[in-house]
Amino acid sequence: MARPPIEVENVTKDFGKFKALDDVSLRVPEGNVLGLLGHNGAGKTTLVNILSTLSPPTGGTARIAGYDVVRQSRQVCARIGLTGQFAAVDEQLSGLDNLVLIARLLGAGKRAAKQRAEELLTLFELTEAAKRPARTYSGGMRRRLDLAASLVGHPDVIFLDEPTTGLDPTSRMGLWQIVENLVDDGTTVLLTTQYLDEADRLADSITVLSSGKVVASGTAEELKAEVGQRTATATLADPAEAPRALEALGRAGLSPVHDEQRHAVTAPVNASHELAVVVRALDEAGIEVSGLGLGEPTLDDVYLNLAHHASESAA
Amino acid sequence: MTSTLSAPSTEAPESSPDRANWHGANVWTQIVVLTGRSLRAVVKDPRIVVFSLLQPLIMLTLFSQVFGKALMSSIQTGSYINYLMPAILVTTGIGASLQSGVGLITDMKNGVLGRFRALPIRMGSVLLARSLADLFRTAVQLVILLCAAAVLFGFSPKGGLLGTFSAWLLALMVSWSLTWVFLAIASWVRKEEVMQSVGFLAMFPLMFASSAFVPLDALPNWLSVVARVNPLTYAVDASRDLSLALPVGTGVLSAVGASAVLLLVGAFFAIKGFRRPL
Ligand SMILES: Nc1ncnc2c1ncn2[C@@H]1O[C@H](COP(=O)(O)OP(=O)(O)O)[C@@H](O)[C@H]1O
Ligand SMILES: [Mg+2]
Repeated sequence: MARPPIEVENVTKDFGKFKALDDVSLRVPEGNVLGLLGHNGAGKTTLVNILSTLSPPTGGTARIAGYDVVRQSRQVCARIGLTGQFAAVDEQLSGLDNLVLIARLLGAGKRAAKQRAEELLTLFELTEAAKRPARTYSGGMRRRLDLAASLVGHPDVIFLDEPTTGLDPTSRMGLWQIVENLVDDGTTVLLTTQYLDEADRLADSITVLSSGKVVASGTAEELKAEVGQRTATATLADPAEAPRALEALGRAGLSPVHDEQRHAVTAPVNASHELAVVVRALDEAGIEVSGLGLGEPTLDDVYLNLAHHASESAA
Repeated sequence: MTSTLSAPSTEAPESSPDRANWHGANVWTQIVVLTGRSLRAVVKDPRIVVFSLLQPLIMLTLFSQVFGKALMSSIQTGSYINYLMPAILVTTGIGASLQSGVGLITDMKNGVLGRFRALPIRMGSVLLARSLADLFRTAVQLVILLCAAAVLFGFSPKGGLLGTFSAWLLALMVSWSLTWVFLAIASWVRKEEVMQSVGFLAMFPLMFASSAFVPLDALPNWLSVVARVNPLTYAVDASRDLSLALPVGTGVLSAVGASAVLLLVGAFFAIKGFRRPL
């Protein structure tokens, strides 16, 4: 086994003066899932487009299974499956015809194409809707058909761009299950998401992207250890009290962060009894609180935490 | 259909013994499969064919009824319908090639072209398939129009079946080459509205400042000057020469030559433009 299936070295992408990707490097070993985490506009889709040969990088190199995405795009295309952010299915064609079309274009004979299509329709529970035009499908069904279409050629590498955005919770979990099964079969996956819990559940390692730059990377455990398992969020009745609230929580042994948008202070807590510590500290300082919550860490917390560390190391 | 998914297993190695060869179909298969896909959309939704027949049918009715009498004197070729129909063939063919361009943009929005781009196939195949499917559709439309003209308006050109057939071929040739011009515009412009207005702005003056509906002598002086340099005039005249069994001169040859040039230039820019990232 020579090269990792996905290799990205110092990739940049400019749109005019705007840098959508700035010196991004990453590697994904065979059979691994990389979660590419980032807010809207972070550059996730831009990177997926470069890796799937849809647009060339401005600088740097990217290789899929050892093939350069610019110079050997055909070899790359033959080995990847892409499920873009927006379902790319032919609305006029039925689910079956969509899959047969892809299989035929990949070089399957008529019979083999039909067989593969039916196999995938069964797998994704679309058999009943197989003959209906895709435009009559629900959002979840369309997603599944789209994912099925990207698997037709048994790709070695799959790109999933925000596969669960806009799905209801049940469909979301169904999709997670499908991805897990793919990985069991040894497929290498790059998955982009805005949700930490999704990356946590599916990814072997996570790369956090912010404004086109890699700002953190590691396993979910490593990231969460930095962020803290959970966070307590206290919304302040008077936003001007924030400095005092931060001070009070700091004295109580927590490392609070100011969340200006939500007029709140957030602090990583290890167990739910530490919530009491938060309440007590704020109460003792006489700070009125309009809301209190305990949350699983989110991407926001990762960002806040990264910002926090950055300011600490600068000080 | 529930949205719940049980855990489907993805193991299916034995079912696809030739998966090692699934690295892209040959170009011929690409074109056949993609053309079939576009044609299937037409068969499934024949409204497209019907609607795009409406405009030429209305024109045929209006023009033959309105101008028919008035122009009888200046036309030497017998009834006005025999004069009009060869022109309608050409203009309908050109209208269809504009629709090809619009259709390409719709496909780009649809997202399915995005998937094609990430497949190991040639973008030229995608465009060629689109043009072939539209050519086939146009061929059927023109046959329907010819039948309607013969049955409803008494179209019976002197050139007979053979002459009509050659005029039909000529209209298809012009349509196919202009399809590539509109595909080229579409793949650079990529906006339906712009495409429609470009087409509209180009088509209408071309259509009326030509010999399509009225003989050049019957046009006001300045308009007949414009019409004389209008390429549509030559395409329409060539179509007439064939169907009306007029002496076939350089008109047909220059129509073939011009179409070939348009085709090559259009194809070059269409493929170049289409390859640009979405
Ligand atoms: N074709 C383009 N032209 C100009 N700017 C673009 C283009 N595509 C993306 N961008 C910009 O690049 C940034 C990253 O976009 P994108 O990769 O789509 O983010 P994400 O997928 O993480 O939400 C955004 O600010 C977006 O506006
Ligand atoms: Mg995106």
